[in-house]
Order: sequence, then C-alpha cells, then structure tokens
Amino acid sequence: MRGQSRLIGRRLAQILPVIVLATFVVFGLLQLVPGDIAVTLAGENASDERIAEIRHGFGLDRPFLVQYASWLWNAAHLDLSRSYLSNEPVFDQIVHRFPTSLLIVCGAMVLSLVIGIPLGILAATKPGSRLDAAVTSFASLGVALPSFWLAMLLVATFALSWNWFPATGSVALSKDPTKAVLHAALPAIALAAGGVAEVVRQLRSALMEILSSQYVRTLHAKGLSPASILWKHGLKNVSVNLLTVVGLLVNRLLGATVVVEAVFAIPGMGSLIVHAAIHKDFPVVQGVVLSMVIIVICMNLLIDILYTILDPRVGLK
Amino acid sequence: MIVSVARWCWHNPNAGASLIFLVGLFVLAILAPVVSPYAPTAQNVNNVLAEPSFAHLLGTDDLGRDVLSRLIHGAPATLYASFLAVSVACVIGIPVGLLAGFLGGWVDDVISRVIDTLLSFPGIVLAIGVTGALGIGLTNGMLAVGIVFSPQLARLVRAQTLVVKQELYVDAARCFGASLGRIIIRHITPNAIQPVIVQVTLLLAVALLAEASLSFLGLGVQPPHPSWGGMLARAYNYMEIAPEQMYSPGIAILLTALSFNTLGEALRVALDPTRRRR
Amino acid sequence: MSTSIVTVEDLRIRFPTQDKRETVKAVDGVSFAVTEGETFGVIGESGSGKSTLGRAVVCLLKPSDGRILHGDTDPYTLSSAELRQRRRAFQIIFQDPNAALNPRMTIMDSIREPLDIIGGTSRVERDRRAMAMLDRVGLPAEFGQRYPHELSGGQKQRINIARVLTVRPRLIVCDEVVAALDVSIRADILNLFADLQREFGLTYLFITHDLGVVSHVSSRIAVMYLGRFMELGPAETLAQRPLHPYTEALMSAEPIPLPSSMRGSRRIILHGEIPSPTNPPSGCRFRTRCPAAKDRCAAEEPVWREMEAGHFVACHFAGFVTGRAE
Repeated sequence: MRGQSRLIGRRLAQILPVIVLATFVVFGLLQLVPGDIAVTLAGENASDERIAEIRHGFGLDRPFLVQYASWLWNAAHLDLSRSYLSNEPVFDQIVHRFPTSLLIVCGAMVLSLVIGIPLGILAATKPGSRLDAAVTSFASLGVALPSFWLAMLLVATFALSWNWFPATGSVALSKDPTKAVLHAALPAIALAAGGVAEVVRQLRSALMEILSSQYVRTLHAKGLSPASILWKHGLKNVSVNLLTVVGLLVNRLLGATVVVEAVFAIPGMGSLIVHAAIHKDFPVVQGVVLSMVIIVICMNLLIDILYTILDPRVGLK
Repeated sequence: MIVSVARWCWHNPNAGASLIFLVGLFVLAILAPVVSPYAPTAQNVNNVLAEPSFAHLLGTDDLGRDVLSRLIHGAPATLYASFLAVSVACVIGIPVGLLAGFLGGWVDDVISRVIDTLLSFPGIVLAIGVTGALGIGLTNGMLAVGIVFSPQLARLVRAQTLVVKQELYVDAARCFGASLGRIIIRHITPNAIQPVIVQVTLLLAVALLAEASLSFLGLGVQPPHPSWGGMLARAYNYMEIAPEQMYSPGIAILLTALSFNTLGEALRVALDPTRRRR
Repeated sequence: MSTSIVTVEDLRIRFPTQDKRETVKAVDGVSFAVTEGETFGVIGESGSGKSTLGRAVVCLLKPSDGRILHGDTDPYTLSSAELRQRRRAFQIIFQDPNAALNPRMTIMDSIREPLDIIGGTSRVERDRRAMAMLDRVGLPAEFGQRYPHELSGGQKQRINIARVLTVRPRLIVCDEVVAALDVSIRADILNLFADLQREFGLTYLFITHDLGVVSHVSSRIAVMYLGRFMELGPAETLAQRPLHPYTEALMSAEPIPLPSSMRGSRRIILHGEIPSPTNPPSGCRFRTRCPAAKDRCAAEEPVWREMEAGHFVACHFAGFVTGRAE
C-alpha cells in the first residue's frame, strides 16, 4: 500500500507539467489570431483611440508572459474573465451549461459500455463466425458514421415521425429527471454509436489475443471450462484495456458532443464554444477549451491511478 | 506495380471496392465542372425543395439548387480538406517524431510531454478553438485539424524510430561512416514508415468527418460553396418538409469515410512485417 | 616490429542499469594491442563483455574510461567528419547475419552501400566492385537482386563479409560470426575467413565463446571473464599450458575433440553462476567459481603480469593450480 501511494504521488507530480503546458497552449491560442486582436475586436472603421482603449482595457498591451501569468492566476481562482459579447463571466456560463453536456456524455458512456462490452466479448469468443463478422462490420460502420448525421436521422424518425422523444432542447436534471433523460436520450444514442464501435473493437482484439495465448491453451488442456477461463483469466486481464478505452471515450465523447448539441439545439458547452468561435469571443473559447482539457486530464489521472491498483506490474517501471 | 495492386485488390474485395470508390471519387472531383448537370450555386427560387425527377436526379434544395450538382462539387472540397489536414499533420508530426525518437534524451522528454499534453485536448474542441482564433473557413479549419492530428502521428513515428534505430543494420551503416542524414533517410524512414502509412489512411477518414462536422457547424466551408457537411446543415433546417435531403450528403460522407477506413485496415494487414511477402 | 593496428589502454565501459541506480561494468580494465596481420582471439562466456569490447573497438560504443587507439590516433579526438572517414578501416561482422542487413534493400544495394558512402566513383564502377565481392564470397551474381529474407543464414553472413570487404578494411572484428549458423556450414565460413585474410592482408579480432572455433583460427588468444582478461598468450601455449584456472576449465570442458596432447587429463567443473557484472566479487573476480580459491584471492586483486614471453596472466597462483608452474 505504501508503494502504491508513492506511485500515486508520482503520477500527480507528472500531471502538473502537463496541466501547465495545457494552459499555455490554451492561452497561446490567442496568439494565432492574425493581425492585432484589438483591431479585430474594435471592429471596422474604429478610431485609433478606440483601438488603444480596447487594447488597454483587455490588457493586451502587456508583454505575453505577463498576460499569461495574470490569466493563469485568474483561472486558478476560477475567474475566466468575461465574454467579449455579453460581458457575462465565462466561468458562470460554463458552470451553467456543463451539467447538460455532462448528462449526455455520461449517457453515451454508459450506453457504449453496456452495449459494447457484451458485443465485444461475444465476438471475441467466436472469432470468424457470422456473429463476429456482423459485429465487426457494425463496428467499422460506427467509426465511419458521422454522429451528427445519425443524430439527424434519429430526430427525423423518433422525434418527428413517431414522437417518442423530444427533438430539441434540454431540461435540467434537478428540475425534472424524467424529462431531462428524455431530452438527453437521442443525443446520447447518437454519440453512443461511435462509442460502441470503439469499445467493441478494442475489447475484441484484446480479448482475442488473450484467449489465443499459450497460457489459455494450457488452461483448456487442463480441463477448465471455457466459461470459467473467460471469466477468471480473460476478463481480469482485459480490465486494464477497458480502462484505456474509457479514457479514450471520454476524450472522444466530449468532442463529439459539441457537434451533436448543435443538431438538438441543446444549450450545452458545445453550442457555447461554436457560437463564441464564430463571433470571435475569445475568452469564452479559451474558457471552454480549458475546462474540457482539465476534465480529460483529470479523468486520465484517475484511470492511471486505477491502473496501478489493478495491475501490479504497471507500477514497477 | 499496377499488376500487383490489381492482384491484391482481387484477393481483398473490400479493399478493392474501397480503392475503386476512392479513385472514382477522385476522378469525379477533378471532372466536377464537366460532369455535373448544373452549376452548384445556380439558384431557382421557383423550384425549391423539389422531389427527385429527371431534371434533378436528387431534387433541389431550399434555394432551388440542384442537389446532385452540389453533391458532385462537394467532393473536391471534401477531398482537398482531408488531404490538407493529413498533410499538415505529416509535415509537423513526422519530423518531430523522428527527432524525438532518434535523439532521445531531454529532446525526447520535452517532445513527449508536449505530445501528451496535446493529446489531452478533445480533437474537435481544439480544432474549433484554433479555427476560432485563425478565423473561420475551410483552409483554416483544416489547418486546425492537421495540427490536432500531428501529436498522434508524432507519437507513432517516435515509437517506430526508437525500435528501428536499435537495429543492427543501422550500426553497420554507422561503421561505414554513414552520415546522420543518410541513416535517417536510407535506413530508419523506410523501415519505420509502414504503420505510419496505415495511420495516415485512417486519419484521412477522421479528417473527413472533422471537415463535415466543422462545415455543419458553420466553421468550415462557407456558403455558398458546396460541402457535404454544409448541405446536411441546410437539410436539417428543412427536415420536416423534405427529409430526403438529408440522405445523399450523409451517405456520401459515410461511404467515403468507410472506404478510407477499409483501405487503411487492409493496408495494415498487407504491410504487416510478420508476414513479409514481397 | 609489426605495427599495432589497435591498441586498447585500460578500457572501461559502463552502462547504467534499467533503474539507473547501478552500473553494469561490462568492460572493467582491459589492455592489449593487436598487431597487423594476426588473428587475435577473445574467448569468454556470455556476459564476459567480449561483444562490448568488440563494439568499442569499432567506435560503436564510447569508452567510459581509458582509450582505444586506431594506429596511433584516438578516434574520439577527431572531428565527426574525419571520424566518419577514418573509421572505415575498422569494421565489424555481427553475430546475427539477418539483423545486420536492411530488409528493404536489395543485396546489391547493401553490398554497394559502403562504396556509395565513400563516393568518388561512378555508379557503374561501384556496381562492378560490389559484384566482384559477391563473387569472391562464393555467391552467384543473381543474388544481387534478391532481398535478405530470401536467403539462408550462411548466405547472409557471406554477404555481410562481402559488404565489409568493399572498403578494404585493415581490421575486422568478428563478433561470434558463426554462432548463429548451422554447425555444418561453420567450417565453410571459417575457411572463407582464413582465405580472405591471406588474400587481403586482413587483421582479425575474433570474438567467440566457442573454443574449437577460436583455436582453429587464432594466433593469440585472450580469455575474458566478467569484463577483464584472465590470461593472454599464443594460442598453442594457452591450449597446452594454460596458467589460469579459468582457462584450464574452459579447455577441459571443450567437447570438440582436440588432439590428446592438447587436452587436460582431468575435467574441471566450475561451480556456481557467473556473478552479476554490476557488482564483481572483490579481489579476483573469478574466485567465486575457482576450484582453488584461497583467502588471498578475496583480499587482493591479482596483478596482470607477463609470466613468459608474450604470455600474461592475472592470478595469484598462476601455474600452481594447473600444475604447470615453471
């Protein structure tokens, strides 16, 4: 246990430079803006005075590192400055919209795992069979399918034609749980298609490799039933792969939700950043990107820690 | 060489079909102005959202523009987008990976850290962020996507370089007095490149989907230029009246992405060094 | 007096271990000189550091301490461009003939590569020379267009030899060159080595663990154990009158029939495992397995001294143990 807490401590220490670097990248995004930001913000035909006013007002006349340091300092205190457009604090906007996106992502994650894991196991235990071929084809399809198109098709069928689910908008979980889930269902399903495909692929290949290994063949020869081999040996070893997949999924789903939200007119993080990008509302863009990155990094940290607990070999680097 | 490719296609029907589809798409993209029945931006407000007919094989959109022509003209934009993004990823990712793998030491440590960090960003989100900063438009969007892809490519190239640089024939080349450049070009790259080729093909599919997503959100191809993602966005608005507008662009995207994927997977099997058969 | 092609002065090579906490002392103080035209054999078990020594001689590994001289120059004092040029005279042939060839290059490309690097001649001329070498090692011309995976181990080793010869090296380090080959073709390859030495005036540093091989080809033999030489002397002397217990044990264990005059009358069996090179035993490093170790062996490291002309040993009781003291 001692060794494990030391490893965990080491992982935490390794995360720090990554977080700092990530914040640097997020802040650096601003540097990509062609030309002078102040000019862009001031709009067309702005007077020189107006431009200078804006430049000073947003602190753009300070050296880069000073700007970065003050932005970082503020961010650490949960102050992500204000939107250029609405002057609302960015942090508040994010916090307000986060639960909506979170509901969808969690739903998609749960669906992906609940459907993907059994399918992956089935395909791995019967390689080369028709079932396996069907599952693999389905997985290939899922990866190539644009999630927003699937979302559109789902809306067309289930919402508009059959009226099973609402087509747009969202409801907070705290206000009305059933309605909230109903609103989140179609988006989650749209996202889950890609998620299931990913889970099935990874699980199938990892499990197949284990089940065809020398060790397992020895177990067979010893007379253990296929079911118990699968449970005891196969799945235990694959749990590490599953963790990796979950990490991948978090990254993927967070990204995909941005697009899917547009289809359903859901006021989540996705629509926030898209709107901001189109209207050059840089603080909002930075704020959303930063929060998503922090989420992914924290999830990966969690997964790493779970790794060291599950797989004793991983820690002994 | 054509003969061996043809033979390979015969043995791998999926890959063969994908290759034929992609080549066909490519030809279509080049010949778009010649092949398409109408100009993609020609509006006809008297004939909006028409059903498929002889005059308009796939109907017309909400501004009376022929859907088939827009679809055909969307192909070059799509292919350009995918290849641009992947090229950017290669131009950035491959040299960085080679450098990190070959030099090792602190250079490798720093580069690996940066790669890890960039991989923590959800792809689309970072692409939107970069596009927001650079300004919306197809080229900027694809530059953003390319930048987002380069870390994975760099990581792959680095891993391959690490393996290959330990090979004995690299040592032999050093003994003959080979220069660094010669070793990298003649020995390391050819032997490290195969998984990279597979990955690049698969990335073409992802780039395609990214372009479609960005165009769908209004950040990529700007109207009135046709793009499959943009067509889907418009079709969505009129979904209740004319739902069949949604099918053709979506299927086009799906088939193309599927073809890239299938080709990539088939290449992975074909280039597998454990079954080296030339 | 013949010139020394390679002089090794108190060479030490250390590697950090995986967890960076300890160092592996692969080569721990080796000194000798190789004269032109001879075949200098180095024999030892795996883990003795002999391959490391060989690689260091051709500048694939940098000495941690001590130095290696090519002729009278320390190659590491040269600029990198000069080093690239000078090092061609010192080549190596590896144990794994397959791994030494780039799988994506044709045989002809591989053999021609050293000439390509040197430059200065036309492509046609380089092809001709490469072809000539291919022929010289006994392979048909059509092999030039093949790829390594289409050939056998013995054929690939011949190609490695051909490739090295294109630059007319002065010294060739032969690192276990026949160990990976079928026993039936070893003799052929070794004979090829011998022929080429005569024809091209080559000097060999012959590294092996196989006593039968080394006595077959070498003029002098050095016995290496855990990073140091235990004994060094003319091949025949070592075989007939070894002064070091380790040498005697190696000689007696050799299964390949030697003339009875060369065989010891009793078989010496060494006990124990070879110690870890991160932590060699104090005093004489062989003492943990030596059948005749005494207290002095643990306390004091034996000095490397010349017992007879050209015959060096590091043992407190050299000669006494083997019953061959003068």
